[in-house]
Amino acid sequence: MTFESAGRSLADFTVELDVYSGPYEWLLALILKDELEIFEVPLRELVDLYAGSRDPEAPNALDRDTDFAGSAAALILLKSRTLSPAVEPDAEGDDAVAVSPEELAERLQEYLKIRRASEDLRARFARAAGHYPSAHVVPPKPGRLRVAEDRVTLAARRAFSRLLEPPVRHLGPITVTLQELAGLIRTSLLRGPVSYEELTRNMDRLRSAVAFAAVLSLAQEGSVKLVQPEPLGALTLEPLETPG
Amino acid sequence: MTENVPAPEHLIESVLLVSARPVGPDDLSSATDLTPGEVEAALATLSERYSPENSGVVLRAVAGGYLFSTNPACSAAVERFREEARPTPLSGAAHEVLACALYLGPLTRGAISRVRGVNSDAVVRNLLERDLLAEVGADREAPGAPALLAVTDEFLAATDAASRDDFPPLDSLVSQEELDRVRERLTSREEIPAQAGPEAT
Repeated sequence: MTFESAGRSLADFTVELDVYSGPYEWLLALILKDELEIFEVPLRELVDLYAGSRDPEAPNALDRDTDFAGSAAALILLKSRTLSPAVEPDAEGDDAVAVSPEELAERLQEYLKIRRASEDLRARFARAAGHYPSAHVVPPKPGRLRVAEDRVTLAARRAFSRLLEPPVRHLGPITVTLQELAGLIRTSLLRGPVSYEELTRNMDRLRSAVAFAAVLSLAQEGSVKLVQPEPLGALTLEPLETPG
Repeated sequence: MTENVPAPEHLIESVLLVSARPVGPDDLSSATDLTPGEVEAALATLSERYSPENSGVVLRAVAGGYLFSTNPACSAAVERFREEARPTPLSGAAHEVLACALYLGPLTRGAISRVRGVNSDAVVRNLLERDLLAEVGADREAPGAPALLAVTDEFLAATDAASRDDFPPLDSLVSQEELDRVRERLTSREEIPAQAGPEAT
């Protein structure tokens, strides 16, 4: 369903309802987007509001009346359609399930109870209105607030106890630095592009690892361009700095 | 120098003052280091002191805890001071959805719509935004495991209820006579409409 007939002539028509306050056009949009239930919109009150705001002398009075009548008619149609009993398809795909009088009576009885309960709730909400709680919004921490000394001691022991140092004997002495290998790479690049494999051919695992770190470092500072045509493929270093 | 030991009711009073939500007896006991008996006695004293007749601040037993709120008799002054109007009352549809969740819940949006006979998704969305309803799980048996909805502590506080037991039983709200009348009217008809639904407003 659309409200195409509601033209911009109603752009300045605003409404004040319990459920909504603002431009009429936005109200239509909210209803169409299912943001507002049509049951909650009192159509008679809406017509009264329009009648109250109507200016028969306005140059676009006829346009406004026509647009409003069109949109109001669409609202009535929408509301009446929504109020029509819904058709429930059954499991076998028939159009509708025949509801026995007994079943319908049960449904209506249940609804009647809910209706009464809602009236009771309305009264309770009205009685409780006007209670404003403290403006402090910080919620209390969940769970027990009592400080258990033994748990605090245990937590403190864990927090302040020294962690065991991992064994490092197998690493051997460090004999090379990042700067050294960066210098070596720069020198190699003076002759042009060099592959990483060639660069590290005679290095042990430690030097090879540090060389890789040096390559990444040089690439990050913009001295070297890394070329690797395919993932895990051969890596080539190309110089980016102009040799002085 | 003598140590100034606060009275139990002063401790309870202080904790309640800084909470915007109801505080349960256990939490009051934990926070103040008072025994449950002392908390109970202090609350009795405070209930008398902060009754609507004696104070602009009232102590309410709501949602399983205790909450300081302004006295409704002073609400106009509070609203003027805060420069905000009282929240818009809920619609009839919203009250019906809350009644479904309170008495028949936790239940799905579909179940609410079936009871009311109309789609209730928009109303449910609005109540979720107002924290009066909350999703509390999922119906694993149903296709798509739709969310189950139930009323919240905010709902209990807004209806001045200490717990769900504060509400009258659903069956007591309608007399058997009325129920029989509904059944009679329907079963005596020849043409039966397909589904029940709320009256148009």
